[in-house]
Amino acid sequence: MTTIITVTSGKGGVGKTTTSASIASGLAMRGFKTAVIDFDVGLRNLDLIMGCERRVVYDFVNVIQGDANLNQALIKDKHSENLYVLPASQTRDKDALTEEGVEKVLKDLEHQGFDYIVCDSPAGIEHGAVMALTFADEAIIVTNPEVSSVRDSDRILGIIQSKSRRAVEGREAVKEHLLVTRYSPKRATEGEMLTYTDIQELLRIPLLGVIPESETVLQASNQGIPAIHQKDTPVANAYQDAIARFLGEEHPLRFVEYEKPGLIKRLFGGK
Amino acid sequence: MSRRREPRPAPALELKTTRLAGIQVILNSAEHAALDTHLSTLFAATPDFFDGEAAVFECGRLPADAPSPDWGWLARELESRGLNPFAVQNASAELAAAAREAGLLVLNDSATAPAVAAEPAPAPAPDPAAAIAALAAAAREAGLLNDDAPAPAAPAAAPTRIIDKPLRSGQRVYAAGGDIVVLAAVNPGAEVIADGSIHVYAPLKGRALAGARGDTSARIFTTQLEAELVSIAGVYRTFDTAPDAAVAKKPAQIRLADASQIVIEPL
Repeated sequence: MTTIITVTSGKGGVGKTTTSASIASGLAMRGFKTAVIDFDVGLRNLDLIMGCERRVVYDFVNVIQGDANLNQALIKDKHSENLYVLPASQTRDKDALTEEGVEKVLKDLEHQGFDYIVCDSPAGIEHGAVMALTFADEAIIVTNPEVSSVRDSDRILGIIQSKSRRAVEGREAVKEHLLVTRYSPKRATEGEMLTYTDIQELLRIPLLGVIPESETVLQASNQGIPAIHQKDTPVANAYQDAIARFLGEEHPLRFVEYEKPGLIKRLFGGK
Repeated sequence: MSRRREPRPAPALELKTTRLAGIQVILNSAEHAALDTHLSTLFAATPDFFDGEAAVFECGRLPADAPSPDWGWLARELESRGLNPFAVQNASAELAAAAREAGLLVLNDSATAPAVAAEPAPAPAPDPAAAIAALAAAAREAGLLNDDAPAPAAPAAAPTRIIDKPLRSGQRVYAAGGDIVVLAAVNPGAEVIADGSIHVYAPLKGRALAGARGDTSARIFTTQLEAELVSIAGVYRTFDTAPDAAVAKKPAQIRLADASQIVIEPL
């Protein structure tokens, strides 16, 4: 039984690709055979975040158009045993993604025994984003603690509820999860940012996790190693917690409370 | 696929009754300057309010001796604000001729919705149910209506529409002919429209338009008023400035007073 997870947000730059890479890596680290697909045709990024950009020969569009078979295009991840990356095409546009083509690729992955397929959606609500969510079983809505991101997430939730296959065919609805990223407890406490409870109150979907704002993410991206591999950092731990919750485990939220630094810490630095 | 009868090719043309959702542009004055000024103020805050809706000029309130408005200009002004004006109604022969010249249709008075009366007591409209039934009978006789189409029923109060999931930005629900009850939040950018009243038992943060077909007795109720816009029978209010503290984010009722004034009261 393959579960298709779409990582989406509506708004750009909120951390969809970072999240796709870390969630897919985390699932693979737990032993699930996982594929992560970049739906952002024309603005390919996932391969960079996963550090496999130099190994891209064939891509998602090649497979859809029959120029290559799936196994030629799937790139085995260096960091996790069970993880495969299907990169986007950089030279096409999003219209190259046809519904039949995407469905066939997903079906083929299912036949190959993948447990999870993570679809990294492009920003926006146009064709590419719709293709990424059409076949979703579950959706992770990545939201930053600011009003425009929340509004866009709300919009994309409405689109999931109307355009996903599950909605169109009247099956059980796509399971929605809220993931708040780039969260700064300090700024939320001081009222400069929305708090995660504000966001949840508006979107009204279950909270999968809160990923703290951190320099780790940028470093990880630049190195091409998903943030979840940055051992013992708050970001990696927060993603691990999110995966645990996704798999049904109960974990208290971490990294959401702001503690005023004590005198010693203020005097002798630390961040 | 269930097949109930011999397949029959669909006729090339079918006639069915419909009701067009549209906007009445009620002219109280024909004076260019007055119209221009009012249009500007009306749309200043919400230039994108309309989105291609059909519009009809209602001339019943114009003074009998009013000169003909500049129809071409007026139509262009409304078009630039997202409306599609296509006709005039209740126009005197003189106004009608000018409108026709400007490319507008002149609606036969009996074919249109009851005119907005200048006096408080509206002229009794012909019974719409009887009119539809007569029309259908005539059409059937002429062989135009598909027999297996359901016979047009008398417009009874439509069942109340109930929505139990959050309405999200960009979603729009419309309860034709009746009330709507929303049990979950109406988020910013969502739109609830009803021909009757609107009940929202959750935060109302989007837009709510009650009495969409002109029922001035329609009301809006919510347990938490944070709306972007409320409208009753076409009279609307935006909330660029927050509502009164007594109702902001609190249970409230919105109704129309004197057919032209939005009143918001705590519940």
